[in-house]
Amino acid sequence: MQNSNAEFIIEMHGVTKDFPGIRANDDVTLRLRRGEIHALLGENGAGKSTLMSILFGLYKPDKGVILKNGKPVSIASPNAANALGIGMVHQHFKLVHNFTALENIVMGVETTRYGLLRTDQARRQVVALSEKYGLSIDPDAKIEDVTVGMQQRVEILKMLYRENEILIFDEPTAVLTPQEIGELMKIMKSLAAEGKSILFITHKLNEIKQVAERCTVLRKGRTVGTLRVADTSIEMMSELMVGRKVEFDLTKNPAKPTAEPLLRVERLTVKSKHNQKPLVNDVSFVVRGGEIVCIAGIDGNGQRELAHALTGLTPVDAGRIFIGDKEITHSTARARNLLGMSHIPEDRHTYGLVLDYTVEENMALKSYFRHPFQRHGFLSFAVMRGHAERLMRAFDVRAGQGPATRARSLSGGNQQKAIIAREMGELPNILIAVQPTRGLDVGAIEYIHKRLLAARDEGKAILLISLELDEVLNISDRVHVIHEGAFTANLDAAKTTAQELGLYMAGTRAKGANA
Amino acid sequence: MKRLLSIMLTVLLAASLAPAIATASSETYELALVTDLGTIDDRSFNQGSWEGLVQYAEENGISYKYYQPKEQSDDAYLDSIQLAVESGAKLVVTPGFLFETPVFIAQDMYPDVNFVLIDGNPHSADYAEYRTESNAVGIIYAEEQSGFLAGYAVVKDGYTKLGFMGGMAVPAVVRFGYGFVQGAEYAAKELGIDGVSVNYHYTGAFAASPEAQALAATWYNDGVEVIFGCGGKLGNSVMAAAEAAADKWVVGVDVDQSSESDRVITSAVKGLRESVYQAIDAAYKGEFPGGEAWVLGADRQGVGLPMEASKFTAFTQDDYDAIYAKLVAGEVSLKKDADAESADELSSDIVTVTVVK
Amino acid sequence: MTNRKRVNVFGAGFTSALSSIIAILVGLAVGFVILLATNPAQAVRGVGIIASGGFNGGMKGVGQALYYATPLILTGLSVGFCFKTGLFNIGAPGQLIVGAFAGIWVGANASWIPSPLLWLAALLAAALAGALWGAIPGLFKAMLNVHEVIACIMCNYIGMYAVNYLIKNSNAYDPLKNQTIDMTRAAIPKAGLDKIFYSLKGRFMDASSVNGGIYIALALAVVMYIILNKTVFGYELKACGLNRYASKYAGIQEKRSILLSLTIAGSLSGIAGGLMYLAPAGGLHINVVETLSAQGFNGIPVALLGLSNPIGIIFSALFVAHIDQGGYYLQRLEYMPQIIDIIIAVIIYFSAFALLMRQAIGAIQSRLNSRSAKRREGLADAQEASKHD
Repeated sequence: MQNSNAEFIIEMHGVTKDFPGIRANDDVTLRLRRGEIHALLGENGAGKSTLMSILFGLYKPDKGVILKNGKPVSIASPNAANALGIGMVHQHFKLVHNFTALENIVMGVETTRYGLLRTDQARRQVVALSEKYGLSIDPDAKIEDVTVGMQQRVEILKMLYRENEILIFDEPTAVLTPQEIGELMKIMKSLAAEGKSILFITHKLNEIKQVAERCTVLRKGRTVGTLRVADTSIEMMSELMVGRKVEFDLTKNPAKPTAEPLLRVERLTVKSKHNQKPLVNDVSFVVRGGEIVCIAGIDGNGQRELAHALTGLTPVDAGRIFIGDKEITHSTARARNLLGMSHIPEDRHTYGLVLDYTVEENMALKSYFRHPFQRHGFLSFAVMRGHAERLMRAFDVRAGQGPATRARSLSGGNQQKAIIAREMGELPNILIAVQPTRGLDVGAIEYIHKRLLAARDEGKAILLISLELDEVLNISDRVHVIHEGAFTANLDAAKTTAQELGLYMAGTRAKGANA
Repeated sequence: MKRLLSIMLTVLLAASLAPAIATASSETYELALVTDLGTIDDRSFNQGSWEGLVQYAEENGISYKYYQPKEQSDDAYLDSIQLAVESGAKLVVTPGFLFETPVFIAQDMYPDVNFVLIDGNPHSADYAEYRTESNAVGIIYAEEQSGFLAGYAVVKDGYTKLGFMGGMAVPAVVRFGYGFVQGAEYAAKELGIDGVSVNYHYTGAFAASPEAQALAATWYNDGVEVIFGCGGKLGNSVMAAAEAAADKWVVGVDVDQSSESDRVITSAVKGLRESVYQAIDAAYKGEFPGGEAWVLGADRQGVGLPMEASKFTAFTQDDYDAIYAKLVAGEVSLKKDADAESADELSSDIVTVTVVK
Repeated sequence: MTNRKRVNVFGAGFTSALSSIIAILVGLAVGFVILLATNPAQAVRGVGIIASGGFNGGMKGVGQALYYATPLILTGLSVGFCFKTGLFNIGAPGQLIVGAFAGIWVGANASWIPSPLLWLAALLAAALAGALWGAIPGLFKAMLNVHEVIACIMCNYIGMYAVNYLIKNSNAYDPLKNQTIDMTRAAIPKAGLDKIFYSLKGRFMDASSVNGGIYIALALAVVMYIILNKTVFGYELKACGLNRYASKYAGIQEKRSILLSLTIAGSLSGIAGGLMYLAPAGGLHINVVETLSAQGFNGIPVALLGLSNPIGIIFSALFVAHIDQGGYYLQRLEYMPQIIDIIIAVIIYFSAFALLMRQAIGAIQSRLNSRSAKRREGLADAQEASKHD
């Protein structure tokens, strides 16, 4: 049964992996050709990450074999994977933040002489590699100071520097701007052209269409099939992945905004703690009930600070914020919650969840202190469980052991859905949603978009902060483009295009000057 | 709750499996010592007494062992005495007055065991009852004689500017101090000099402290040549000050402290080793001085100076033997702690005592 | 067949128990090696004596183990409670001694309180003083972001020296013995325990030092368990410990949590000090020495061994006291007390690696799982093959 055709550089046959309460991979087969870009497609929790973790030596399969060049290999650790030429760019980068790019790249395989570091030779090699593949980096910049895109390029160079020939990209585009995604696609193609074999994990179908030759689809831990991308339509791929038809164009009712804004922001300024540079610069806007207002922009242009200022996580340096008529500029986060403001934070691991709490405890994070969750200072676990079960059903949050599952052991998508369930479950008046669909698959994205639109139609005010142009254009009613902390354009979503948005986002155009 | 169960199980397991292994009979140790605060090698009471015990046991082929209490309290000391007795002790040496109450109880509890209490006499916890049973002996020392010898020796050796730094004004320390002053006076009389001065101070604690060291340094700076550092670790502070100055000396206390610092000119010792040896010897000869309260002076080698370890230039072994003989013969009468309210009452034409508060 | 859930070979509770037991056995094994190295002839009996702990001394010995466990439970709770909140309370020695002094001062001065209640008032004073001493690093951390370890260590020394100074200048000082006076009127009552834990020595009923403090320690452990696991307050504290950003996001006041957590921890250590030193003539007195309380520091291994769970801490404190008492009885053999100290420390600290052990067991367990799974599959394949024949 073993196919030892050497045209495949890596073959995984019959891989099965169990976790408590869940079979993450069930008899999965994946074969990677030499020099191809092979996409691995699947919903959240379909088993993509598990399969790649097995290939990278992080998990041991319960069953199944892995062949390299037709010969069985055992991959017990990431080091063993490295020795076999397998490298991985993780979804959450594994970089040391206060090291420079160069230090991160050579870390672990430093060239030394007499026990001393020899960076000059390493530097030459890294620079040569980066020029060869168009991976522009600043070798001496500290990781904490560079953009997400450059961090990713550092991760890629790390693999290349180790002379890996099998490169795994775990959802690499989830964190990138449209422009950066374009660049990455080019880089991946040139890597493949040089003979590197690439496994590309994603659920963004158009990216697969753009770069991949073949695509293996996983659903609920099992292989649905491997197909030639050129012969398959996006609709078909998504159907294979989700197991049903997916609507790409949402039916959107015309907005019926209220006359009075629910959220009003006047000349808001937030300055950097370090150098007093304004990160949010004199921004004013309103969000009315029944509309979705979007703040679009490239990552790192003040969105995070704006969201934190609105939700009470960061003090405001100037300006005022109102919920209805009530000024909340200096109110606590909890006071804002109690006035009906909800917040889907950008970083689900840092802000959204207490990972070592159970799902039910996390679901109560914003309400544990209220009756009936607490009585006389004591928590009611029965109420918490019922609450969590309701929300998990309503928002399709899947967890191995139900509400008692630790949040840490949920898949990324289910973690995000749990947050969204908590924040939207009680239908707040105002929802600040920061990249609510980040890292989610099409099925989940579709679902969340529908939820947002439904909430809008019920008269809620929604502020969406997003980096995804499609999302911005598809579901928002009005768009503010933010660049370096200031609004460069205020647009009507129905009357603008992705190209136009991209230009405003890059700061090459500003409304006043070009309108 | 699972963790609860787990740790509970563990403790039960550890507790239940063990006695099975441990039931074999233990060895017995006939001579025992229970240590006071500090370790057996404290260069003080524990060590001195232990050396006497070991010497006797080795010479006579008797088993011996020491025990260390778990904490410093009467109950814990008593518990260790019990441990010693259960391990076969026929005689228990307890060095230090903190054993007064534990021995008071133990002497009744174990009428067949002999107790040698160093530096104290058995009494009840509230001091209401002093009673030494026929199986116990309390040994205290004539500290004033020891201090006298030290004071005599240093003045004979040519020093006239002296200091006395005591821990606390407890009777033993006061006796040392008074003896030191009187010894200085006695020597000055013999030499026919006057103008001997003694700075006199109690620090209030037996611990080494920066304050004590600073005061000692000040005294040395003002011309004091020899300071008697009298009280536990306090002596170390004085030694440190002496080491920092040139040609300044310290008198050690209780045991020979010459190994603590090369600035120790001599030590006013108590004959711990000798007295423990004597007491054990008496017990084995069937002459245990039960019920007695020994006060050991020069007549019973209870006090002295370690001449071979002293760094005198003028004061010789013959001088020492002569003055020692006078003490033995009772030719020198000394004022003790109860005989003077304060040290400056000991001042005379020859010796000026300045009490520093 | 594909979705069949695989049964966990070991239950999670069993894994926990096993890891603790293995940790302790490893500790004993290392102790055994040292016993062998120093005195091979008696090593087997030695390890038996150590493991028997207080049982060597009959009921009195057991009582002694409980007596030494009492402050350890409380300092263990103090350290463990802070661990749960993400703080490292290394200030237990200072809180303990400050609490002890406050208790003794009240015991010596509040003579208008009738004797049966005096100990309670003194213990409350100890709790309050300990709380204050815990609140100081809490305030520094919350207001000025000074790391609690630094502030706690400072407070340990300040507390110790301040107490030494205050004792000497108070009416609770016994200059002859350089320690505090007897607390006969304010002593923690025996609560009937002296009628249980005693040994007969001839006509003497030799009672253990254990007193009602053990009840107080146990009760407080249960209270801490309830606070941590059943209350809104505990939910907030743990949230802060696990993820301070998420708790800020949830509107929990982190600074308040830090301050309260260290204050409560301080009061637990203060009570530990009160229970230790509110003792009659035969018991402990605060000595004016420049040494930090060992019972305070030993709260750290106790908390680690108990995995910071209040109920676990009860057992780990009992275990530490048990082993320590075993080491005391080891003096019956040829072993030197200094060697015994080393052996006991080694056993306790190795045992505190329970957490590491648990991970190792997890790995072994998953390997066993996969092996037995393979065996099952192999069987199925064979059956499949025979069908085809």
